Amino acid sequence: MSFLSANGAGGPELFSSQVGSRMSFLSMKGKGGQILSSVLVAACVACSLVAVLDIEDQRALGICIAVIAGVAFALSKLGIVQAAEQAGVHHPWAVRCIIVAAFAGVLLVLRENNFALLMSATILIYATVCLGLTIQTGFTGLFNFAGAAFLGTGGYTAAMLANVTWLPDIIVILSGGLIAAALGTILILPVLRTRGHYAALATLAFGILFYGFLEANELLGGPQGLKVPGITILGWDFANEPTLGGISFSFYANYVVLIGAIFAVFMIFTRFVERSWIGIWLDAVRLDETAASVFGLRVSLWKSFAFTTGNFLAGVMGAVYAKMTAFIAPANFTFGDSLTLVSIVLLGGIGNRWGVLIATMIVVLLPEKLQFIQEYRLLLFSCVIIGLLFVRPGGLLARRVRVFGGQ
Amino acid sequence: MSSIAQYLLNGLMQGTIYGLVAIGFTIFFGVMNVIKFSHGDVLTFGAFGGLVATWLSIALGLPIWLELGLVILVAVAASAAIGALIARSLVLPLKDAPPLNMLLMTMMVGTAIRECIRLFFPNGTNPQKFPELLPSGGAEMSGVYLRYDGLILIVSGIAFIFAIQWIINRTRLGLAIRAVAEDGETARTMGINFTLTVAIAFAIGSMTAGFGGALFGLYYSEINYGMGLILAVIGFSAAIIGGLGNIWGAIIGGYLFAGLQTAVVATLPSLSDYKNVVAFIIVIALITWRPTGLLAERGSERV
Amino acid sequence: MQGGIFRIWGLAVSGLAIMALANAGDASAKEKVKIAFVGPLTGSNSQHGIGGRNSAELAVKLKNADPATKYEYELVALDDECKPNVGVQVVTKIASDNSIVAVVPHYCSAVAIATVDIFHRFKLPMVVWAAVLPDITYAKKVPEIHRVSGILIGQNRVGAQFMKERGYKTFVSFADSTDFGKSMNKYFTEFTKENSNEILGTFAVPPDQQDVSAELTKIKELKPQVIYFGGLTPLGARVRTQMEKLGITAQFEGNSGIMGDAFISAVGPELAEGTLNFWDCPPISKMPGGQFFSENYAKAGYTQPPEAFGPFAFVATNLIMEEIEKVGPDRAKLTQALGDIKNRPSIVGPITFDEYGQNITPLTTKYVVQDGKWAVWEDSEYATGKRKLKNLP
Repeated sequence: MSFLSANGAGGPELFSSQVGSRMSFLSMKGKGGQILSSVLVAACVACSLVAVLDIEDQRALGICIAVIAGVAFALSKLGIVQAAEQAGVHHPWAVRCIIVAAFAGVLLVLRENNFALLMSATILIYATVCLGLTIQTGFTGLFNFAGAAFLGTGGYTAAMLANVTWLPDIIVILSGGLIAAALGTILILPVLRTRGHYAALATLAFGILFYGFLEANELLGGPQGLKVPGITILGWDFANEPTLGGISFSFYANYVVLIGAIFAVFMIFTRFVERSWIGIWLDAVRLDETAASVFGLRVSLWKSFAFTTGNFLAGVMGAVYAKMTAFIAPANFTFGDSLTLVSIVLLGGIGNRWGVLIATMIVVLLPEKLQFIQEYRLLLFSCVIIGLLFVRPGGLLARRVRVFGGQ
Repeated sequence: MSSIAQYLLNGLMQGTIYGLVAIGFTIFFGVMNVIKFSHGDVLTFGAFGGLVATWLSIALGLPIWLELGLVILVAVAASAAIGALIARSLVLPLKDAPPLNMLLMTMMVGTAIRECIRLFFPNGTNPQKFPELLPSGGAEMSGVYLRYDGLILIVSGIAFIFAIQWIINRTRLGLAIRAVAEDGETARTMGINFTLTVAIAFAIGSMTAGFGGALFGLYYSEINYGMGLILAVIGFSAAIIGGLGNIWGAIIGGYLFAGLQTAVVATLPSLSDYKNVVAFIIVIALITWRPTGLLAERGSERV
Repeated sequence: MQGGIFRIWGLAVSGLAIMALANAGDASAKEKVKIAFVGPLTGSNSQHGIGGRNSAELAVKLKNADPATKYEYELVALDDECKPNVGVQVVTKIASDNSIVAVVPHYCSAVAIATVDIFHRFKLPMVVWAAVLPDITYAKKVPEIHRVSGILIGQNRVGAQFMKERGYKTFVSFADSTDFGKSMNKYFTEFTKENSNEILGTFAVPPDQQDVSAELTKIKELKPQVIYFGGLTPLGARVRTQMEKLGITAQFEGNSGIMGDAFISAVGPELAEGTLNFWDCPPISKMPGGQFFSENYAKAGYTQPPEAFGPFAFVATNLIMEEIEKVGPDRAKLTQALGDIKNRPSIVGPITFDEYGQNITPLTTKYVVQDGKWAVWEDSEYATGKRKLKNLP
């Protein structure tokens, strides 16, 4: 019964309007209905993304965002969002094709827009890091306030390995993840031995000392930062503009495709973790450690697994991010950034991987595009999160109830 | 040798400030089982309140000692007010929520306070000059330069800590606070006004932050909007090392942290930039060794 | 419920349509051209950034008031917060925006050295208005990079010689740990040694470090006659203030990074009194176009002063606009045209870009703070002997 509060932040409240009651409105239960719903949702998300990224004029943008919000609200009330999620559960490959098509569509429309593609890449990077955090916090209930530190580890690994020119970039990127995971093992003992607030302090202190270390250390560039070379895979330098059938794309398209591929891989991985016995064990650890260990679960092992995996994801994306922006400095990886990552996970709905993507889009895009709120973005962001914690602690897309014994 | 004494003096000063912040954390945790991460920014708020008080005093042409008193008063009052406000409107309603929510919420409140100061205070993004209100200069004693203002601040900080300690442990109000901390339900049945007591406890905890903010401004002659964050983390670490809920633990934790920093600076002068790094590493090691703090009760779990 | 949603839809769509129509009827005669300005508009160096931005805006305003120009100019001012990572983000954003044809970037050298590659990658021409680190123009020959302000080598050379002439022998160098501070320290050390003077110790801290008492305590033990500071105003103010608190009575020698009113107001006129400085620029009243600039700046009604480098921002923006008038708003053509500038008259003197895009600047001027203002050394009471510098035999 306790699985009804599977979204850790929701407390004892039951899952609200998302499940059951409103689904029947448009009879979306059947296979065709589900596929149609997912096409609709994917199309809406893709169009929204393109619109927000492309529109420059502030007033038009404001209206556009209001329209998008309205559409989103409508879709969720009509049960289309749930149907799309069901499609994701029952017909994963169909949904994956739809998503790839939407992705290609967005890429095609935005092909010359450097900044839009850079933003898209950034969104996907943060979304992947937050997937890692979801595994740590959403599934296993670990607090990680040092997400930015592991992101930074990946980045600095990439910067340092830049001098070792014979290493192919794929290995460099993977090393970023491995070093981050290795660094995380230093924290495993404190994380395992402490509970609650004390555990929060462990990662918090680590994040701060990481930043302090980078600022003080000359070898790693200090506050000045380091330049990082771009990615070259199999001889194709990512600084070149790719052309496909006569259509030329901005060179950022290279990065978007690569990051999109990595994101897709990790989404599938996260889904696998969630739906497998590993996911059940992680949930058990989160919900009641004592009971879980009574039943023979090796709590330490699974906590370590979740923590290390999440850090690996962060490290990989850190390396890619550093190479894409060609620059890295300690000021990118402060406590505020770690806090933003945790907030994204909460905003999207703790434990919901699609929610993570939507939340990242909101958190990354809105401050960038809405110029008039640029200065106030941190203030607005903190107020939104505070409000959210009061009104809807489950987040935007609260996590689905886990249903056992066949779907 | 003289420079070591110099470092020691500086360390004592910082330890006093850290201790003040840590006391707040420990009171909040003891009373409501909550880590109020906005505490550091409440300190900043108090410090800026004190700054406004100095402007007012200069405008009114008040003598220095009156200006000094006003600064301390306003800093303490401002922090107490905002601390109690946060407690009433944000912490109390959410007290049954999972700890992550509460932690995140207070972190966000802290961010909101920091941003408000940055955006709405005139020239908020720049560091603000805090006027010299304490006697400057110092005594040169066997090569050690003892700043008068440093000594005054250390002494008054310790006095304030003792005052808070006395209030908590020797007054009826303190008794009420400790009762609520022990068991809220029972305290209520005993006729203690729960909400009021909690608000007062938070106000007292925040007062220590306000005093700390005033000390900081008077010592460094400069305050800026971001100073609260690192102080909060250090104060939190200090409170945890000492064991959450234990006031003496918080004070000791504060001086311990400052001591760690001073030790790094004194013994490895070329690595003085790394003092926070080393201190935090030791903090992490300490809580790994004693997961419930140095002075708290041992918690044990065997399943 | 369904009807309600469609009603919202309908309202929103019609709203959009009205907005679009409202914006449609805006036909102006001249083509609009966008130039970007980047500087620290917030943060502890914001006085310099805002002064620069106001000066650049003034240039645009004056240009647009001229009916003979072909284009109408718009200045897009962006904030780099004096942080390299923010600068990189901001410049990447500008560079990705194809409607911006040129940039006037950076007060902080630490930011400029980080963004140089981005300008090259996107082939976006720029004219630096304040950053003085030599490597920005001289590390590599990059056609997009130009600079109107000087480089820090000259000020250190003149400074070292001056200090020797005064009779100072022992120094301590205190710099920040960015590339800017490192470069300052490098040239200071080189020229001081050339003048056979002694450097007792070298210290470097991150620019936003709050408490420098640890380093100053060590410096106190060394007992130098002069403390040389190589960094920006916020850190400089902290060092000077905390020096006083520790009872250190050394003479304070600054660099172009603390030039301007911000430093004096941060430490107060008492502590600032007698601070020495060396800068590749005469005071604005003595510049050939200084009067013109000051008058127009005052007329425009800005609340903040132009600060030390404001006139340079004015010049940089004007150079760009003059070239756009000649070759049009095209990044590649502008890059070429800017590189060809020789002996162009401006309010700070004739501008000539060498092959690296660096302006060969006029003479270095020596300054000292007197009564809360920067005074030229030769005109000050220190030169006549009425006031004395510290620690002189």
